[in-house]
Amino acid sequence: MIPVSVLTGFLGSGKTTLLARLLASPQFSRTAVIINEFGEVGLDHHLIETSEESFVELQTGCLCCTIRGDLVLTLEDILRRRDAGTVAPFERVVIETSGLADPAPILHALMSDAGLSQRLALAGVVTTIDAVNGLATLARQPESVKQVAVADRLVLTKTDLIDGAADGLAERLAALNPSAKVLTASFGAGGPEQLFDMGLDAAPGRPPDVRAWLGFDDHAHPGPAPHDAHRHGSQISCFAILRDEPIRAITLTLLLEVLAEHCGADLLRLKGIVNVAESPDHPAVIHGVQHVFHPPAWLDRWPSEDRRSRLVFIGRDIRQNWIETLLEALDAEVGEVTGRR
Amino acid sequence: MSAGVPDHVRALLVQSLAAWHVTGEVRTEADGTLLLMAGDKQLRVSRAAGDLPFRWMVSDGERSHGVTSIAGLLRTVRAAVDPGYRPIRLHIAPLPLLPP
Repeated sequence: MIPVSVLTGFLGSGKTTLLARLLASPQFSRTAVIINEFGEVGLDHHLIETSEESFVELQTGCLCCTIRGDLVLTLEDILRRRDAGTVAPFERVVIETSGLADPAPILHALMSDAGLSQRLALAGVVTTIDAVNGLATLARQPESVKQVAVADRLVLTKTDLIDGAADGLAERLAALNPSAKVLTASFGAGGPEQLFDMGLDAAPGRPPDVRAWLGFDDHAHPGPAPHDAHRHGSQISCFAILRDEPIRAITLTLLLEVLAEHCGADLLRLKGIVNVAESPDHPAVIHGVQHVFHPPAWLDRWPSEDRRSRLVFIGRDIRQNWIETLLEALDAEVGEVTGRR
Repeated sequence: MSAGVPDHVRALLVQSLAAWHVTGEVRTEADGTLLLMAGDKQLRVSRAAGDLPFRWMVSDGERSHGVTSIAGLLRTVRAAVDPGYRPIRLHIAPLPLLPP
């Protein structure tokens, strides 16, 4: 299974510059990168091993191809080339989105195509933020807010121009998405691997770091309360729901159905680890973007002694107390129907 | 029909109106049914009789609708009080979240 990461960020946020650096990095070998235009990345011709109209293979072992109309067809094409041995056997895929793109449809395409489901696994979303202009962009461009809200990693670019980030940017990012890890484009000692190590695509033999993936630190509210986020002029908020009691599988299913039905596009992301009553020793990891959810991934064991369910919500104008009340009501009904409480 | 709608259902309907940005109120009547008022709509929510294949009945004064679950109750109530409501179906994707 090949992990797929989505690289997004608003126009001028340094996404392409970051990608160009990554393409030249030996640490980024064995990666297939799907971009919008070769010209934007400015590939160093010394690095190019082979090329054709829509496809370039670099000396670093990195593949670079442009999207020709359809993302799914492009992914199928590079997988076919990999299988045929006509390109290096890449071990991960990075998809660059257009700066104006809402990343949700791309995530849906990745999550929903049955033909790709046997080969690819969504690893996460990386979003670049211009440290100089990011705050103003977030105030003006709703797409940029969504790009931040769905991210697993936020990468501050152009920090060298102002020795850090503009006043208020860190607070704004924390209000929009406190569960995302914030990095600078210089990477420090960790290198570019940090970008794509989301916690869930663990090395063989190593349990997935669900806690890091959730961005959860044992507090019911991983970041500012929803009303704080509203005060910043956005209705996007992030909150976590903790539950001590196991959740029945049917209750969880009904909860996701109701959330999809009533929140739809406003549920930007939901991720969580759930103590399912029918499977107490194997927690379920759930992950959804708007109304599209992965099937639960069942872990071999709990990552720690803490067996509470944790659900992290990032959404637009979604109320925590409504979801808590809904969960209680669904659980009570399921308990009543099944004759248990 | 038997009455006695549990308090957590009333609490959920109150919270739901707020979540949907619908101004209204929900009160428990003497017979244990719920009366939900929003704009010019009045809905009465009660438990369905035991011989019906439903759990809840929702009546708007002219017609009664039977629903089988909390999820169905919310769908029916919202469709009545929120003209802009367009339900979206949950889609479970085939793509695995974790590489094996």
